[in-house]
Amino acid sequence: MAVIIRRLEESDETGNFDCGDAPLNNYLNKHAWVNQEKSSIGVTYVAVEEAALRRVLGYFTIAMSSVPREAFPKKYVRGLPSYDLPLMLLARLGVDLRFAGKGIGHALISEAFRISLRVSGEVGCRCVITDAYRDRMSWYARYGFIPIEGAAAEGPQRMFLDIRTIRKALQSQL
Amino acid sequence: MAIKPKRNQPTTARRTRNTKFQADLAPAEDRALRALKEDLQLRSNTDFLADAVALFRWAASERKLGHRIISETPGGERKVLVFPRLERVAPEANLPRIEIAWTKSELASLAELVSSAEPQPPTEALVRAVRD
Repeated sequence: MAVIIRRLEESDETGNFDCGDAPLNNYLNKHAWVNQEKSSIGVTYVAVEEAALRRVLGYFTIAMSSVPREAFPKKYVRGLPSYDLPLMLLARLGVDLRFAGKGIGHALISEAFRISLRVSGEVGCRCVITDAYRDRMSWYARYGFIPIEGAAAEGPQRMFLDIRTIRKALQSQL
Repeated sequence: MAIKPKRNQPTTARRTRNTKFQADLAPAEDRALRALKEDLQLRSNTDFLADAVALFRWAASERKLGHRIISETPGGERKVLVFPRLERVAPEANLPRIEIAWTKSELASLAELVSSAEPQPPTEALVRAVRD
């Protein structure tokens, strides 16, 4: 199955998308396009099959963010650069249940890593952050995401991946 | 009676000078340029450069507006042009910015992770992800 990953387009079929999680389905169906093109809140990338270029098999949404230097606890500030910390947020990622187990999630996160490398080279990006569902944490951990301590016991777990680790991964293929 | 302009006085209708442009090309680039000129039926380097500048200028203006440049096959398959120099003029690499809420302990944990001298080594899955 040849899969293409590209930016979400207005005519993409998102209505039948079902990843088994209502908020993720709802986001793709109702908010992703508006947030991308009108509000500029996040950019969504979709996986589509070469044979059916409009049917969305999976997606992820990313956005840039930063943490102001003064927001960090004082005892850590000295070890940090004298600027706000730029980061890329992997805000959402979901694969349609009918296409689960075909490597689409891997293809999507691979594209997100490639974008993070490009962004870090073009405008600066120190790490990738995601808020993972607790039952999906091990999947993110497989790619090297580390849980950020201090989150509430319930709800999503914020996870961290150093951009230097992603760069090292790129070098280790050589 | 006609008034003659003084010798050093600039005339209003002075001709604008054309700028000379010279480039050193590697043999492969020279071959590519000649082949392109032939394909595009351009006779001179001047015409070639004028058209190339027009095309580059258009592409840069599109990326400045945040527009993507796409090629589409008759079957509808699309490819987005990603050209590093053009991405320099694109606004914020086309990624919007958002605010994230952090707790104090999350920020302490993030600071520790960010200030570590050595990053975590990549996992096998990550290496595969950036290689695929």
